[in-house]
Amino acid sequence: MRDWKPEILRRLAPLKLSPTREAEIAEEIEQHLDDRYKDLLAEGLSPDSAFRAALDELKNEDLLARNLRTVESELYREPLSPGNASSTLFAGILQDIRYSFRMMRKSPGFAAIALLTLALGIGANTAIFSMMNGLMLHTLPVRDPGSLVQILVHYPGDPEPGFSDFSWDAYQTMRDNNRVLSDLIVGSLNVYEVSAHGVEAQNIFGGNVGETFFEGLGVRPAIGRFIGPQDIATSAPVAVVSWSFWKTRFNLNPDIEGQKIITNDKPLTIIGVAQRGFYGLSNQAQQEIWVPYSLEDPKSSVALSGHLRPGVSAEQARADLAALYQTFVDRPNTNPFFRKNVVRVIAAGNGISTPVSQMLSTPLKVLMATVGLLLLLACANLAGLLLARGASRQHEMAVRVCLGANRARLLRHTLTESLLLSVIGSAAGALLAYLAVGALIQMFSSGRLMVGVPVRFESLRHLDVRVLLFTGAIALVTGLLCGAAPALSPSNTTPASALQSGMKIGETKRQRLFGRSLVATQVALSLVLVSMAGLFVGYLSHLRNDLGFERNNLLLVTLNFDHSNYNAAQYAQRTQELVRQLNAIPGVRSATLSEMSPMEGPGASSFAAAEDHPEKTTPVSINNIAPDYFRTYGTPLLAGRDFSARDEGGSHAAIINESAARDCFGNESPIGRHITLSHITATTGEKTYEVIGVVGDAKYNDLDQPAPPTIYRNLHQEQNLGSQLAIRTKVAAGGVANAVRATEADVLKNVPIAGMIEMNDQVDATIVPQRLFATLSSGFGALGALLAIIGLYGLLAYTVARRTHEIGVRIALGAESADVMRIVVRDAMWMICAGLAIGAPLAFWGKRIAASLIPDLPVANQLPIVIAAAIMIGVGLIAAYLPARRAMRVDPLIALRYE
Amino acid sequence: MGETTFQAEWKKGSAELLILSLVEARPRHGYEISKLIEQRSRGAVRFHVASLYPLLYRLEHRGWLAGRWVEKDGHRRRRYYRLTRAGRKVLASQLRGWSEFVAGINSITEAENA
Repeated sequence: MRDWKPEILRRLAPLKLSPTREAEIAEEIEQHLDDRYKDLLAEGLSPDSAFRAALDELKNEDLLARNLRTVESELYREPLSPGNASSTLFAGILQDIRYSFRMMRKSPGFAAIALLTLALGIGANTAIFSMMNGLMLHTLPVRDPGSLVQILVHYPGDPEPGFSDFSWDAYQTMRDNNRVLSDLIVGSLNVYEVSAHGVEAQNIFGGNVGETFFEGLGVRPAIGRFIGPQDIATSAPVAVVSWSFWKTRFNLNPDIEGQKIITNDKPLTIIGVAQRGFYGLSNQAQQEIWVPYSLEDPKSSVALSGHLRPGVSAEQARADLAALYQTFVDRPNTNPFFRKNVVRVIAAGNGISTPVSQMLSTPLKVLMATVGLLLLLACANLAGLLLARGASRQHEMAVRVCLGANRARLLRHTLTESLLLSVIGSAAGALLAYLAVGALIQMFSSGRLMVGVPVRFESLRHLDVRVLLFTGAIALVTGLLCGAAPALSPSNTTPASALQSGMKIGETKRQRLFGRSLVATQVALSLVLVSMAGLFVGYLSHLRNDLGFERNNLLLVTLNFDHSNYNAAQYAQRTQELVRQLNAIPGVRSATLSEMSPMEGPGASSFAAAEDHPEKTTPVSINNIAPDYFRTYGTPLLAGRDFSARDEGGSHAAIINESAARDCFGNESPIGRHITLSHITATTGEKTYEVIGVVGDAKYNDLDQPAPPTIYRNLHQEQNLGSQLAIRTKVAAGGVANAVRATEADVLKNVPIAGMIEMNDQVDATIVPQRLFATLSSGFGALGALLAIIGLYGLLAYTVARRTHEIGVRIALGAESADVMRIVVRDAMWMICAGLAIGAPLAFWGKRIAASLIPDLPVANQLPIVIAAAIMIGVGLIAAYLPARRAMRVDPLIALRYE
Repeated sequence: MGETTFQAEWKKGSAELLILSLVEARPRHGYEISKLIEQRSRGAVRFHVASLYPLLYRLEHRGWLAGRWVEKDGHRRRRYYRLTRAGRKVLASQLRGWSEFVAGINSITEAENA
C-alpha cells in the first residue's frame, strides 16, 4: 500500500484543523485514494501511473484546502474531552458549556433538582430584593437626593417612626435660625378627592406645600408657574398639577392654565404643571396635585424636609433642630403630648416615610435575611449533590489526569457546570420572582392603610439594572460556592489511588468529612428557618386571637352621612331605629353603632385624671358607643352596667376598660367615681364623667401593642354621629349582608353604605407584615426542610451505594439487618445532631435579631426551636429510611462480586 | 462560453442532488459515491477528492446527511453517509424542481426540432 498521508496532510496544513479532525479527514481521503489506486491497478495501469492518476484526484496544491475552508470553519467542533489542554481560552469555555449541557441531559433527575433548588433560592432573593429596591433603594428624581432629609417628631413608644407635624411658627423659627440645613421645604403627603369638569372624582395623592417646595427640589414648571409667596400669604385657591395628571385628566391640553378643579369640595384654579417625571417625595405615594399651605387655618400643621448643608450629619441636624423645637413646646399652653415628642431627622433621598414604607421596610429587611439563609441552604444542598456526583466520576477524572489532562482545566470545567446550572436556575428564578412579587403586592394591597388610597404598589415591581446585577451576582456567587467544593476534590485525587478499582475509589477522609459537614450545615440552616417559621406563626396566631373581642361572625358597616339631610337628633333617632330593625333580621344576634370599630384606625385620644388624683394624668384612647356595643363585640363587662337609653338626659357617663381602671384608680373600685378628660384630640377643654362600668381590655388600633387604657363614652350623649355599625351574627357574617343593605337603605335616606367588611378581614388588614412573615417564613421553612431531606437522602444513598461491598462483607460475616440499619441511621443521626448543635445557637441569634426589628415578638418562648429540632430529626429519619432499607437488602453474594 | 466552464457550473448546481439521491436507498462511503457518479454518467460526470469531500461535509453540516464510521470484519473502518429525514425532504423538492426544469427544456427543444 502506498503512503498517501504526507500528500494529504500537506494540503490540509494551511487549515490549522484540530489534530482529531485533521486525522479524521486524512483517514477518509487516504482510503479514497487507496481504493482508486487499487481500481486503477486492476484496470491494468502500472503502479507508477496508477499512483500519479490517484494523486491527481487531489488536483492542484490548494484546491482541497480552499474548498474545505468554508465548510470546516462552520462545521468544526472540537470533540468533547474535559481536561484536554486547549489552545484558546474561549473555545475551551464553549466546549465546557457544551459538555455541561451533555452531562445535564445524561442525568435529568439531578439537573431538575439542582435547577429547582437554585430557581427557588435565587427567585426568592430576587423577589425580595427587587421590592427592597423599589421601596428603599430607588432614589427620588429630585435635586441632590443624597442630602435630602425629612424632619419628624416621634412620640416615645409609638411604633411608627414619627410624623412630620410642625406649626407654621415652628417652621419659621427653624427656617430662620437653623445652621444645619441649606433649605427647609414645606410639603406634606395627603390624599385629595379631585374632580373637574368632565373628570370623574378620584382620590389622588397630593401635597400641602410652601413657597420653596419646587425650587428646593430642583423642579421646573412644564407650563405656567409654581406656588409663590403671594399664594401662601393670601391662601390663594390655586393648584399645581403633575405632568401625569395633566396627561391622564387633561390629555395634555395646552390650555390647562386657568382650568378649574374641585379639590376636597373646594374649587381651585390650576396655575401650572410640574416638569415631566416629578411626583413629589414618595415613590409609592406619587403626588399629582400641590396646593399652597393655608395660613387661614390656625390648626393646620406643616410637614418639613430639607437638604443638609455639606459636611453636616443627620445627628448634628437633629440636635440643632431639636433645640429650636424645644422653644415651642416649652410654651405654657402646649398639649402635653407634644412635650414628650422628640425630633428625628431621617434620610429621605429614597422617599419620605409613608404608611407604605413604614409597613414594609422592616418586613422586607427580615425577609431579605431569611431568603439569604435559604439561598445559602440551596448552595450547600447543591454543593453536596455536585460533590456526591463528582466523587462518582472520580475514576473518570483520574483517567483524564493520567492521560495528561490539565488540572486547571478540569477545575474550570467543574466550575462551568455549576455556573451553568446557576445561570439557568437564576433565569427560572427571575421568572419565579416576577410572579412572587405580584402575589406579594396583592397581599400588601389588602393592608388597612390602603383603603381608598391610590398607593402605587407597582412601583415596588422595580426591575432595573440594580436588580439584574444583584441576580447576576448571586447567580455567580452561588455557582462558585456550589462548584468550588467538587471542583477542588478531583484535583486533590492522586490518580494512582483513584485508578485502583474497588471501594477505595476517591473519597479521602477529608472529603467525606466535607460532604457530611455540608449536610450538617443544611440541617443547621433549616433549623433556623423552621424555628423562625414557628415563631412567626405562633406570633400571628397570638395576634389574631388575643384581641379582647370576638372576631368571628362580626360584620362591620361604615355609613357615609356626609350628604344626609338629618340633623343630629334625627340621625340619632333614625340610627336607633336602624339598630332595632337590624336586630330583627334572622341570623343577627345583636347590632350596635359606634364612632370607631376596633382596628379601624386611630380614633380620639385624651388625658384622663381620676377625681382624687388630678395631678396624675394617663393618656387614653376614646371611643363613642351606643348601647349593646360590648355584647355585640363580645367584650366582657366586668363590673357596673352598659349604657342605656335612659343615660341620654342624665349626667355624663363613661365606661372604662381594665387598663384605664388600673391606671386611674389602682385597686379601688372605679364604679360611681369620676374621671376628667382633658385635651380631647385637638380641643383644650375638660369634661368630667361618672364611671358606670368596667369592661375587659380590647385591642384598639394596633394588634401588636397592648390594649391601651380606653374610655368609652355614650355616643348619643356626646351628640356624636356614629358611622360604624357592627352586626354580630349567628351564621357566617357574609350571609346577612344583603338583608343589612336593604334595611339600611330603607331606614336611612341619603346615607349610603361606604364600606362593608368582616371583622376578620379588618383585623387581617392591620397585620399585613405579620401575615407576610408567617406565610413566607412557613414557606421558606418547609422549603428548607425539604432541601435538607434531599441533601441528607442524596448523601446517605450515595454512601450506602459506596459501602455496598463493606455491608455485604458484614452480612456475610453474620451481621443482622437491624445492625445494618443501625449503621446507616447512626450515620444520619450524627449529621443531624451536628447540624442541630450548630443550628441552635444560630436560631437563638436569629431570634434576637428578629426581636430587635419586631418589638412584640414572643422571643422568650423556646418551643419553636424545640419543635423545629424535632421536625429536623423526624425528616432526617425519613431521609435515612430508603437508603437504610436498601442497605438491609444487600445480597452478600452480589455485593462481594462487586469487587 | 467554453465547454469546461459550462460543465463546472452545471456540476455545481446538480452535485447536491446527485449525492443525495445516491445515498437515498442506503448509506454509502465517499469512494463508492464518486464511483457511482462516474459509472452511471458513463464518465461524463466526475468528482475529485478535492471537491467531493468538502461537499459531503457541507451536506452533513446542514443536517441532510449523517456520516458514521463503520467497522466491518477484516476491513479498515469507513465513513458511511446516510440520508437524514431533513435530507429526504430536500431531495424530494430538488427532484421535483429538476423534473420541471427538464420538462420545460424538453418542450422548448422538441417544439423547435419538430
